[in-house]
Amino acid sequence: MNPLPLTDADLNAYVDGALAPARAAEVEQVLAKDAAITARVAEMRQQNSALREALDPWLADPIPPALLDAARMPQASARWRRFAPYFAAAATLLLGVASGWYLRDVTLERGGTPTTFARQAALTHALYAGDINRPVEIWAAEEKRLVTWLSRRLGLAVHAPDLNGAGFALVGGRLVAGNERPTALFMYENADKQRLSLQVRKQPPGTSEVAFRYAIEDGVGVYYWIDDACAYALSGQLDRAQMLTIGRAVYAQLAAAETGTPLK
Amino acid sequence: MSTEPSLPHPELLAAIPRLRRYARVLTGETTRADDLVQETLARAWEKRRLWAAGTDLRAWLFTIMHNVFVNQRALARRDAQNVSLDGDEDGNAAWQIPVRAMQQTRVELMEILREVGRLPVDQRVVLVLAAVEEMRYEEIAAVLSIPVGTVMSRLSRAREKLRRVAQATPTEPSTLKIVK
Repeated sequence: MNPLPLTDADLNAYVDGALAPARAAEVEQVLAKDAAITARVAEMRQQNSALREALDPWLADPIPPALLDAARMPQASARWRRFAPYFAAAATLLLGVASGWYLRDVTLERGGTPTTFARQAALTHALYAGDINRPVEIWAAEEKRLVTWLSRRLGLAVHAPDLNGAGFALVGGRLVAGNERPTALFMYENADKQRLSLQVRKQPPGTSEVAFRYAIEDGVGVYYWIDDACAYALSGQLDRAQMLTIGRAVYAQLAAAETGTPLK
Repeated sequence: MSTEPSLPHPELLAAIPRLRRYARVLTGETTRADDLVQETLARAWEKRRLWAAGTDLRAWLFTIMHNVFVNQRALARRDAQNVSLDGDEDGNAAWQIPVRAMQQTRVELMEILREVGRLPVDQRVVLVLAAVEEMRYEEIAAVLSIPVGTVMSRLSRAREKLRRVAQATPTEPSTLKIVK
C-alpha cells in the first residue's frame, strides 16, 4: 500500500530529474506531507543553482589561442600518419586507379579531353562524400569565407549554387587537387543523407565548350560540362533523371549569376 | 598545397568552454586544465572516425578527457595499477583555482567553490557533471566508466558533505576563513 521508503538516492535523482515518472510521483506525495524532506529537496536545488552560478562565469573566459589551434583540423604532418589506417581503403582505390589510368590520363588531360575530368570528379566525390564527419574543410555556416577562399585559390569567382529547391542543403566545401589545377568542391546533402558534390575548376583558355554530358564512373554518376571559363562536374549516386534536374538547376543559377541576373 | 589555416571546427570550438571548465574541476588548476583540453582536442581529431554522427559530442569529448586525465595521472605516479579515480582522496590537494572576480562573486558562491575543491575528485566530478553540466546519470557513468549506482552514491555523498558545511557555516559574510 505505502510506497517504498524514500532513500537519499531517490531524493538526489528526483532533484536531477532522473527518477522514473511513477517513482517521482511517489516522491511528490511524500513531499506534500513531509516538511523536512521538502526542505531537504529545496536545499539540494539551491545547492545546484549555487554551483551553476559559481561555475558558469568560467564559460565566458576568452579562449586561449593554443586551444583555438587545437580545434582546427590538423594539417598534413606527422599526425597524418596516424590517420593512415582510416584512409587506407580510399588510398588503395586511388592508387589502383591512378596507376591503371596514368598514361591515359596524361594523354587525355593534355588534350583537354573532359573524360578524365568526370572520372576525377567521381573519385573525388566518392572519397569525400563517404566521409561522414569531415566531408568538407569549411562548413556551410561559414559559406562566405568558404567562397572567398575558394575564389582566391582558383583565381575565379565561384559560389555555391542554392539547391534547397531540389532538397539538397549545402554542407560546405573544400579545395581539392584536380589533375593539373586546383578545384573547388561544394558538398550538398538531402534529408536522406544522400550527398552530391559540385566541382568547379578553371579551364585553360581556348578549351572548347562541352554541353551536358553524363558518365558513370565507379558507380558514381557525373554530369559535367565546360563553358568558356570553367569546367563543372556534378557527382552523386542518384538516378540519372534526378541528377539531370539538379544539374540543370545548377547550370541555370550559374548562368544567371554570370549575366548579373539576380538568383531566383 | 594550401597555406590557408583551416578554421576551428565549429562544434569543437563550441565545446571548448565546457571542456575547460570541467578540466579545471578535474585538475583543480587552470594551466594543467588547459593542457588537458589541448590534449583532449588532439585525441578527438585522431579518433574522429569514431565520432559518430548524431551522438552527443560533448559527452564523447568529456569521456576522452577523463581517460587522458586518468592516464596522465597514472604516468605521473608511475603506478599503472591504480589508474582510476575510485577511492581517490588526494585529488583535493591540488585545488588551486583562483576564486575569480572576488569583488563581484557573492560570498556564498566563493564558499561553495572552496567546498567543491575540498571534495575528493571522484565526488567532485560527479557532482559537477550532474548539477552543472546536467548530464543524465547514464551519461555520467559512461564518461567516467563507472556503474550508475556508483554515480548515485558519489553524488549523494558529495551533496551531503556540502550540506554539512553549509549548515556548519553561519550565513554572515564574516566567515571567509575556513577552518579545517
